[in-house]
Amino acid sequence: MLNVALAKGRLADSCADIFMKCGIQAQVLKEETRKLVLETPDKSFKFFFVKPSDVPTYVEYGIADIGIVGKDTLLEAGADLYEMLDLKFEKCKLCIAGFPEKKEMLSAPHLRVATKYVNTAKKLFFSRGEDVEIIKLNGSIELAPLTGLSDVIFDIVQSGGTLRANGLVVLDEVFDISARLVANKVSLKTKAAEILPLISEMKKYIG
Amino acid sequence: MTYFKLPSGLRDILPQESARLDQTEEVLRKKFKEAGFSSVRTAGIEYYDTFACIKSSVPQASMFKMTDKDGNLIVLRPDMTLACARIAATKLRDGKAKLCYFSNVYDFSASGNSDREVAQAGVEIFGEDGAESDADAVAFAIGCLQAAGLKNFMVDIGHVGFYKGLLEGSGLTEEAAEEIRGYINAKDAVNTEIALRENGANERAQAAILALPSLFGDVRILKEAEGLTDNAMALSALKHLQRVYDCLKKKGVEKYVSFDLGTVKSLSYYSGMVFTGLAAGVGAPVLSGGRYNDLCAQFGRDLSAVGFAIGLMRVLRAQEEETGC
Repeated sequence: MLNVALAKGRLADSCADIFMKCGIQAQVLKEETRKLVLETPDKSFKFFFVKPSDVPTYVEYGIADIGIVGKDTLLEAGADLYEMLDLKFEKCKLCIAGFPEKKEMLSAPHLRVATKYVNTAKKLFFSRGEDVEIIKLNGSIELAPLTGLSDVIFDIVQSGGTLRANGLVVLDEVFDISARLVANKVSLKTKAAEILPLISEMKKYIG
Repeated sequence: MTYFKLPSGLRDILPQESARLDQTEEVLRKKFKEAGFSSVRTAGIEYYDTFACIKSSVPQASMFKMTDKDGNLIVLRPDMTLACARIAATKLRDGKAKLCYFSNVYDFSASGNSDREVAQAGVEIFGEDGAESDADAVAFAIGCLQAAGLKNFMVDIGHVGFYKGLLEGSGLTEEAAEEIRGYINAKDAVNTEIALRENGANERAQAAILALPSLFGDVRILKEAEGLTDNAMALSALKHLQRVYDCLKKKGVEKYVSFDLGTVKSLSYYSGMVFTGLAAGVGAPVLSGGRYNDLCAQFGRDLSAVGFAIGLMRVLRAQEEETGC
């Protein structure tokens, strides 16, 4: 049996679709339920529903053999695992955004950056040789420059709707993000007979 | 104080578990002795410079550092292979030695799937080289895991020379090679491709390096890899692994063996074959080792060497998985 960690919500729905195309009895994922562990009727897959940021943890510890999670979460977690497949859905971009006039401030000696991706932001600005003050927020990141908490934000941008509605613009696109299939480093080898055929099957349905 | 706690990443081992640990140690002690290994106990605290001045795999941030009375920087032993290599190079007279140990090593930065105090049992063989010696080490590792009661496990073999060979003449800078190594180690094909393109590696090397993340499986991948390159170092690494496999087959243990040419560990002292032991149900390797022919020379004496260390707590977890309790 293969244990799969999935992020709750929209991502899980897209995963169910691609799993079903691959002939997995993943209908269980479509059912309205409050259960956290779901099994396929043929008992070949067990799904765990976890918070997106916990997917890398479950996979790194080997509790889940594989998982599906956004690249943004992977970058931030820095977990030791294999990244097997770019599923090419849930696409977005990790960007630096702010008021248009902040563009020339990007290399200011003391830029204040609000983000929920603290580790990724640290690595990014370190690699650019810039000292910045990183302010950790957990949601509504766009509020930070509006209220003067930060100069810019570092966050994922999908449609840009929230940015526009608040007079903010993308100043710098940094990373392309999409959903990735990850595997535990040991499971990939010890359960190769289950994981590898699944991956080659999934490859066929990636848009 | 109303309570007494331990710092994070550390634990006490209470009688029941300790008894099981003793039992496994006992089995391994017997096994090591029968195979002609002599046990050593290396100092628990060493000079920081011992680990800092050589090309080793211990990053500065992962050592427990303290200051000695005379102002020297000292560290809690971060790695047993380095300690044994230091002993073999500086304190033993023979050109050959078979050392074993049961010791803890300390990892300051450990997080996630590892502890900061790691109980290891390991062996280091000095003064032997070649495919046969490598196969002996792998077969002995398999024997040790079997003796510890594991059935559902495998030993995954790679070779640092293959990636090194591909890098030769690829046109990649050392910095770019290190960045790409990280991506390959994570089997991250997306970023590997982007980084190869951005850093302007030549086409043949690009194709070969891009294939690395998927070059794992049974012995057939060695043949598959041959077609990817005509670099002499890379090809000789493949030929070497084939010879190791042939020896293992003669010993009748090939069913435990798989290969992964995409195992490219961080800047490390390994110079040839590398291997990890993987047990079903345990999310991290139970054993890891390899050949390090260039390490002893850095301690002042040129000795070929191969060895491995077993993570005892992970073996206990694997035993639990097997017995289902």
